[in-house]
Amino acid sequence: MAFLKIDDVVKRYGDHLVIDRVSLSAEKGEFVVFVGPSGCGKSTLLRMIAGLEEVTDGNISIDGHLVTHVEPAARQVAMVFQSYALYPHMSVKENMAFGLVMAKTPKPEIEKRVANAARILQIEQLLDRKPRQLSGGQRQRVAIGRAIVRDPKLFLFDEPLSNLDAELRSQMRVEIARLHRDLGVTMVYVTHDQIEAMTLADRIVVLRAGKVEQIGTPTDLYERPANTFVAGFIGSPKMNFLEATVTDGTDHTLTLSHPAFVGGAATIPTHAAPRVSRGGKVRAGLRPEHMALGGGQGGTALSLAGEFAENLGGASQVYAQTPDGDTLTILAPGRHVIDKGVPLTVAIDPARVYLFDDAGRAI
Amino acid sequence: MSMRFGRVIHFVGLILVLAFTLFPFFWMVTSSLKDQSDLLASPPVWLFTPTLDHYREIFEDPKIISSVMHSLIIATSTTLLAIVLGAPAAYALARFEFRGKSDLWFWFISNRMISPIVLALPVYLLAQTLGLLDTHLVLILIYLTFNLPIVVWICTDQFRSIPSELEQAARLDGASQFLIFWRIYLPLGVPGIAVSAIFSFIFSWNELLYALVLTRRAVQTAPVAATSFMSGYELPWGKIMATGTVIVLPVTIFALLVSRHMVRGLTMGATK
Repeated sequence: MAFLKIDDVVKRYGDHLVIDRVSLSAEKGEFVVFVGPSGCGKSTLLRMIAGLEEVTDGNISIDGHLVTHVEPAARQVAMVFQSYALYPHMSVKENMAFGLVMAKTPKPEIEKRVANAARILQIEQLLDRKPRQLSGGQRQRVAIGRAIVRDPKLFLFDEPLSNLDAELRSQMRVEIARLHRDLGVTMVYVTHDQIEAMTLADRIVVLRAGKVEQIGTPTDLYERPANTFVAGFIGSPKMNFLEATVTDGTDHTLTLSHPAFVGGAATIPTHAAPRVSRGGKVRAGLRPEHMALGGGQGGTALSLAGEFAENLGGASQVYAQTPDGDTLTILAPGRHVIDKGVPLTVAIDPARVYLFDDAGRAI
Repeated sequence: MSMRFGRVIHFVGLILVLAFTLFPFFWMVTSSLKDQSDLLASPPVWLFTPTLDHYREIFEDPKIISSVMHSLIIATSTTLLAIVLGAPAAYALARFEFRGKSDLWFWFISNRMISPIVLALPVYLLAQTLGLLDTHLVLILIYLTFNLPIVVWICTDQFRSIPSELEQAARLDGASQFLIFWRIYLPLGVPGIAVSAIFSFIFSWNELLYALVLTRRAVQTAPVAATSFMSGYELPWGKIMATGTVIVLPVTIFALLVSRHMVRGLTMGATK
């Protein structure tokens, strides 16, 4: 049985539907990430697991216990807030011990657990300081420490790294991953950052407008996105889309026509070929990292007009226009200088073209 | 150049304001140290030989000492009660949604809109019926009605400024509603509580109208005692000014002590 089970959960504020019949589960020790654009309901869902938001309809159970209407403290979950939410008038030590004091834990036990958590997070020298004397990264560690000492069944993280600068963020990301490996506990993590989601998650839940768009491993979502939303959200830079017409096909291939293809058409291998009607519209998805400048002879390629290039150091992000005016992004190794309007031939691998139907669903 | 000019204007303005507000105190204190002939001199004398005669006179008068004690008892009790009752009410108004919340809020404020003298007669009759005239309790109760709205008002605002994530974190940490108030909101609300305590104390200490109406001889507060020196036949300015100085002292000391807690940024470091 799943360790964390969310069953047909609904959240409504008055007439406003925030979470629309969401169901998902997590195994013990799993790292699950909720990802989606702001306002998609991911934080609300997390707060419902914590017990900070009432559940309008549906059920939540943790470790076999139904907790839908159980007080937050009795759920044995710990949460790391986006704002850290440290008690400003208490020292680091008191902050970490607060939950244990509330649970009337014996003092020697509190000392032991705080010391242990401080050692894990390398904040032993900060224990007597007040939160205002700490840097952002240190506050983040204290917030995590406060969660660790309570030895919860479930760790909940609400965008914990969004207040940190880029360098600290990637450093803390690695630490959270290590913490998960060392503690082996179940973690649910909310972020709008797809890189955090990809690097941390065992499984990702993509949410949009209160609904689950797709649940799967990072590789699943990257390789087999269920729709254009997931395809566009996972991967950086974003996937490019071309509106193409199906002109012909065999049992295993489809021939698509689009003015950007060299020769006006391209043949794409797909198992779904028999199910696609000829003459219909499809959306062809192309990942920037699967495109190469200067296509070779005979291969499938796009003929584009260059716009400009952004130098990333070891690679460049090249922007180019299709004949019908859409801008595509290409991730190219090395440094490139692209003059506006210069003709570009871009090679694509037909086997790595994602196909979606008119409604955006994967074919 | 213009910055320097700006500073001069700033400085001059500050001196004018200080002179305006502090002159009455200066006049009161110096007058209390003048003898009768210097007091009534016209034009006023600025240089004189100070005398402590008026102070000797009032400290020998048991009425003054006891009136200061009555005032202390009443103002301290009122302030404590106003905080004990007002702070939890403010917490409820700041953090809970309940039916009639905005009406209750308005009712608290509207208590301060009524001119005190309008209620003087009804309150007198009420106190007479209850047998409370000339007691500490009657003044404590009536001052409480005036002070509670101020405490609730200031503290609600203070508690609202405390990030609600702190309350949520405490809930997850297993703190009860009371402990969240006691361990989180109260310590973080100290600046607001200090301000409302000062207002409450000063109001109770200086109040004259109700003290005059509701008490006789048993419980005479300091402002009543000071004014009682004025009779139809004499105006002992020196004695009145010395009493005034003695009355102002405790409340000044109290305000100075409490003002140390009126600091900003107490919640710094909680978030971000």
